[in-house]
Order: sequence, then C-alpha cells, then structure tokens
Amino acid sequence: MNKLLNIAQAGPRQFVREYAFKSDLKIKWVRPEKISCIKPEKSGDLSKLPPLNADETLPEFRGCKELEGASETVKSMFKLANNPNYLTTHFYRDEMVKEVQRHAQDFGSMEAKLAKMTATIRRYQEHMDVHPRDKIIKVRLKELIDKRKKFLKYLRRWDYPRFEWILEKLDLVYKPPPAHFHWITRKESLQKLTDTYCNQLKEDRMDAYHDELKAQQIPFIEEAIKKMELVRKEQIACEVPVTVTVKQINDAKKELEQLLKLRDEADKAAIRQKNDESYN
Amino acid sequence: MSARGLLLMGQCMPCIKQNASKIRIRRMELDKNLNMYFKKDEFYFAHDPQKVCKTGDVVLIRELPERLTRLITHAVEKVVYPLGDITDPITGKKVVVGKYREDIEMANQLFGKSEKAFDYDKAPPRGRLEGTKDFTHGETYIKYHEDGKDQPFGV
Repeated sequence: MNKLLNIAQAGPRQFVREYAFKSDLKIKWVRPEKISCIKPEKSGDLSKLPPLNADETLPEFRGCKELEGASETVKSMFKLANNPNYLTTHFYRDEMVKEVQRHAQDFGSMEAKLAKMTATIRRYQEHMDVHPRDKIIKVRLKELIDKRKKFLKYLRRWDYPRFEWILEKLDLVYKPPPAHFHWITRKESLQKLTDTYCNQLKEDRMDAYHDELKAQQIPFIEEAIKKMELVRKEQIACEVPVTVTVKQINDAKKELEQLLKLRDEADKAAIRQKNDESYN
Repeated sequence: MSARGLLLMGQCMPCIKQNASKIRIRRMELDKNLNMYFKKDEFYFAHDPQKVCKTGDVVLIRELPERLTRLITHAVEKVVYPLGDITDPITGKKVVVGKYREDIEMANQLFGKSEKAFDYDKAPPRGRLEGTKDFTHGETYIKYHEDGKDQPFGV
C-alpha cells in the first residue's frame, strides 16, 4: 500500500490519508473455491481405476474347471460384481501391486505399499462420490491420503529414481507442502495482487521506454556518420589536425548495418506471425 | 569478504532465479539464556549457469573473489550428495537407506525378479517429470486468487 501512496504523492502534493487507504485500482479478487481434501485433484491422483469387467470371476476361482460346466446361476454367484464390495477392492489392490512389486512375494516394499494405498484410495474416492455423507470412509480416506503423501516424501529422500518411476507408474502428482501456513484473507490477497500489478506496470513501462530508445538508434547513427564524414572533410580541407579517423566511421557503418539487419529480421518475424494468425 | 575463498556445505533449495541456486547453510546457534542450541539458517545464492544442483542436493559452494550481482556471492563447487542417490564413501557402492542396492537386487533375483519391477540401469537421470508430476523444483504456495489460469505451484 505504501507504494501506492508514493505514487499518489508523486504528483501535485495533496492530502493523502495514511490509514484505511482504499486503492482505486481495478483489481478484482476472486477467492479460490475450496476443494475437499479427498478429491482426486487435491490428493494427486491423475487417473481413475479401470472399469470392472462384468464377467470377472473371483480371483480364487479363476480357471476353475467345475465352474465352466456349471449353470448360469452358479456362474453368476462367483462373479466379482455379485460379491461383497471389499472383494472388488482387494482385486484392484492386488492388480495394482502386481504392476510394481519387486518379486511375486513382495507386498511390503515401499512401492508395493504405495500401490496398495493408491488402489484403496481410488476405490474410496469412488465410494465417496456415491455416498458423500459417509463420514467413516471419509476419515479413513483422508488418513490414507496423508500417509501416502508422507511415504512419497520418504521415498523421494531415500531413492529418487524409484520415486520418479512410481509417480509415473501409479500416475500420481507430488507437490511439496507450502513453507508457511496462513489463512487466505481478502487483505493479504489484495496486497499480493497489487504488488504483482505494480511490478507488471513497471516492467511494461520499462519495455516501452526501451522500444522508444531502440527506435531512435538507427536515425542517430545515420546522422552521426554524416556528421563525422563532414567533420573529417572540413578538417582535411582546413588543414587542421584530423580527429575523426576512417576506422571510427567504418565502425559506425558496421553497427548501422547490423542494426538494419536486426530490424529486417524482426519485421519478417512479425509479418510471419501475422500471416499465421490470419490462417488460423 | 572476498579473498578468503571460503568453502561452505549446504543444501540446495527451490529457486526461481536463472543461472543461480539458493543454498541453505544450517548451523546450530547457542541460546545463552536457555543454554541450548537451535537451528539457524543462512541462505546464499551460488552461481550455477548449468543448474548442476537440484533441490535437496548437498553441495559445496565457494565464495567468489567479488560478488557477481547484488545477490550472487558464491559459486557451486561440487555436488557432494545428490538427493536420493547416495554413494557410500567407504565402499563406493550405492545405498538405499540401510542397504546396498546390490543386496536388494540380489534378494530380488533369489525370489525371482518380476519383469515389471523397477530397474536402476534403465532409469533416466533425475528431472524428467519436472512440471508434470514432480513439483519439487519450485516453491509451492497456498492458492489465494482464481484468475482462470493454471497455477501448477498453487496448493
């Protein structure tokens, strides 16, 4: 806010109230909508579980010969979809662990644990979409997400290549926690936005001034060459010591050439961009 | 400052500056009142045009004869311990927490290594997921404004 006060005082000096100063800048602050911590965008899950195959039998009875010859009713009793929900969760969990485990007996390594958690988390997230008021699952889900985050933090510290591999394999996003916690307030947010606005303004003005000076470069050098040549000619004609050398004039000409080349290239690029835009 | 060429060891922190890395030097400071030591952090900016050190690496920095810019006073000398890629200084073998990588690998072979399992030889160098899945190369912040644009570091 002090910056704004300074700007206000830069013009003709007038009375500026130093307390409860209200900025007249047109900055609109939109409070970000709160996203529940159990949602995939917050937990870092990029993909969902694959849809369940309707004909999937229970894992224990896969390839069972008696089932093949059985009637339709018996077969449907052994389908995963017609059995308790937790069996489907276990099915997904085992499938996911199989993708990352080190060997067939490995269920306790960090990557196996993370895969297990991820399958359960995604399963719970599906459940929460259908039953948003299930508080017990909500608590379990939140705790599991936090635990997975902690495990990812450890794995990153222990073994970076494996950490990256597991992120890719399980399709997770890892964002480190922010350094400081603070509540989002209107005042603080507006201060930050004003700061960025002021910085942007400064940058824009500097750029504009830079362009202005650049535009003056070519005429200036052209005139300088003309004047140098004139001075040299006069000095030779009047037989006074010559202060302007040929090298100086040639250097200036070279610089002019380079500047002209740069300008031409910039013009061409601008035209090309315009053409591209018109095509699009 | 200047002519000493002081060497310091610290940890690399996320930093948005181009061709410089932010290094945290952590010392213990005695509080005479409580007669206890407390952590005290100092931050230095080290010249690092190739971005040799990544967030979390333990690096050696050397003081420059004169400061490069207003901020940059040091240059990165060497990465001592890359984060999560530790080599045991005595045996020269790679280590994961309390075990050698070789030992883990041998156990996997004995149990019958799965084909889908992670392989260190095939692993590319760190940094390929930066900006897509791994956001540890920058500082995150609590999202305070909705401007319609994507804010990857907003949490």
